Amino acid sequence: MNSKIVFYLFASLIFHYSSAQEWKADVSYRYMYSSQLDKAIQTYNFSRPLLTEKQPLLINGINASISYIFKNERNLKHGLNLNYAYFRSSAENENFNNTFNLHFVNLGYILHYENAEKWKGLYSDLIISATSSAVLRKINGKPFVYDETRSKAFGIGGDVQLKFGTYINLKNKSYLSPFISLAYTPYLFSPNNEAVINQTKGLITGNWTSIVSAQIGLAFRIRQQEND
Amino acid sequence: MERRHFIKQSTLLSVGGILLPSIFLSSCRKETLFEDANYEGKVIIIGAGAAGLYAGFILKSMGIDFEILEATGKIGGRMGKLTGFADYTIDAGAQWLHGQNSILGDLIKEKSIKTTLDDAALSYWFNNQIVDTLPQDAFIFEGENLPDISFKEYAHQKGLGSEYDYIVEGIAGDQGASASLLSAYWNSKEEENWVSGDEDFKFEKSYFDVIEEHIAQPILNNIKLNTPVKSINYSADKITILDINDNTFVADKVIVTVPISILKLNEINFTPALPTEKTEAFSKFGMGAGMKVFLKFTTKFYKDELYGGAICAAYADDTIGKITTDNVLLAFVMGDQASNLHALVSDAAITNALLQELDTIYNGQASAAYISSTVFDYTDKPYIKGAYSYSTIGMGNARQIAAATIDKKLYFAGEAMNTNGHHQTVHGAVESGYKAVIDILNNVKK
Repeated sequence: MNSKIVFYLFASLIFHYSSAQEWKADVSYRYMYSSQLDKAIQTYNFSRPLLTEKQPLLINGINASISYIFKNERNLKHGLNLNYAYFRSSAENENFNNTFNLHFVNLGYILHYENAEKWKGLYSDLIISATSSAVLRKINGKPFVYDETRSKAFGIGGDVQLKFGTYINLKNKSYLSPFISLAYTPYLFSPNNEAVINQTKGLITGNWTSIVSAQIGLAFRIRQQEND
Repeated sequence: MERRHFIKQSTLLSVGGILLPSIFLSSCRKETLFEDANYEGKVIIIGAGAAGLYAGFILKSMGIDFEILEATGKIGGRMGKLTGFADYTIDAGAQWLHGQNSILGDLIKEKSIKTTLDDAALSYWFNNQIVDTLPQDAFIFEGENLPDISFKEYAHQKGLGSEYDYIVEGIAGDQGASASLLSAYWNSKEEENWVSGDEDFKFEKSYFDVIEEHIAQPILNNIKLNTPVKSINYSADKITILDINDNTFVADKVIVTVPISILKLNEINFTPALPTEKTEAFSKFGMGAGMKVFLKFTTKFYKDELYGGAICAAYADDTIGKITTDNVLLAFVMGDQASNLHALVSDAAITNALLQELDTIYNGQASAAYISSTVFDYTDKPYIKGAYSYSTIGMGNARQIAAATIDKKLYFAGEAMNTNGHHQTVHGAVESGYKAVIDILNNVKK
């Protein structure tokens, strides 16, 4: 039974690969707002006046994603998208260099719209993803470990992203494509973020947060030849 | 695509991309809470324990006018130290840092304060002999579906016979309670949010020294000692506080940090009277008798940590983590056992009772090696009257109700008022202290 499932998945993957019309990889700057994470860091700073260097909010990050779009004759195509984002907050005090690292990994379904006649080189992506997050703490460059376990908090939720971009033809069906995007995570269940950041739970924030983010970046696209 | 098209569209996208984050960036995201707070009212804090000191410490950092009224002649509340008894500083009150993942864990790292993991092996006095392991696991009080019955009853229900009673007493004693009064359900439920870690650490100096040096020192001028408060009148805009010598203090906000025992006994008169819901919540708290007896010996004949005594359910080598050549054993006595010793009245009688038990356990070695002892009976202390708060049967949400603000004027802090699982601890008291300041500033926010 298991081998049948594996075979089916493998065959599906091969099918998708063979029918992929376009590959796209991008990197971008990402701006983020989460009230839960803001409040946790603001409380951390407020409650620790001994630390003269304040912990920056988790605002600025980098993002990288890869997607492939399935072959389709219509303007609206679909595909899969894998996304990774990284944010860092670091403050250096005497003897105490504290860093919070926040990672997101999204796996989603992408709807790609492109109309060469009407949109004149513009395209748009709508990506609906499952999101996972991890907040990790480092002190003086080393992972913070207590009770022989690394301080960490995981989250899980859903995310929707709208992306607009344009492209310039390079050669051999490859394109350079600047883009902007807006993303919204209405619900990220992340009950332990406060425990990692402020070392409390339920004191100042709840178990979940919503996140709004914006990106500006550059994508590299490769299309298969029409007769591929 | 034509180059000019590309340039035009790229420019539009880039400008949009830059403007978009700018809108967010301008939306007032400060690195800390109340960065622009400019509260000009006066805050009076009742009690200079860990919660009161930390609330004052935060107020000082915010430039807010405050004064701490302390009933006794010393700061620290249930923290204290004793010098001269041994060749190291004894922690007369709170002595363990419970877990590293806390605000005080950050403090000790930042200040490079020396701590030692207290990983003493636990032994048991069980069926009249010392054993390193028990036939049946007695640590059964964590989990989600425990019944709202006492530790003792639950232990019996789970098949731990009466021979385990004093082991269970030692486990309950960690929570400052008698096993017959501590709720298995509420104790577990209230600690659901405990995130500071399970490892216990001891300070090379003393816990009191750490708090005094780093938290109390900058605010010593704001502390008025020997000022026991007898009444708080919050009926008018300004709050009037009266001490036992009829000195009057006026404040806009008051943070009450006295132990729950004092509130339970109505030792501070509130005008208007506190809501019934509040006083009923106070009455649901447990706060049993508590005593620490330090026994100095010529040799170390005892185990690092031993549970199961009928007189004292928990003995611990006090020198772990200290630089010393002395041998000091701590008798950590809580609940009914502390009440029983308290009833003996004199320190000599208390010491004798403990020595007798130790002689039984260690074949007479205790009396032979005994040098001296010192007793800290927290039940005796008029402004403390017990150890620390614990969760009783039927506790419910009493802690949340007790900790709630009244009329945006009265705020409650202290270990008992920590509603995020860290009650009974110094770092929990500290958290409640800064939370009270957050609540004040939220309430006065324009």
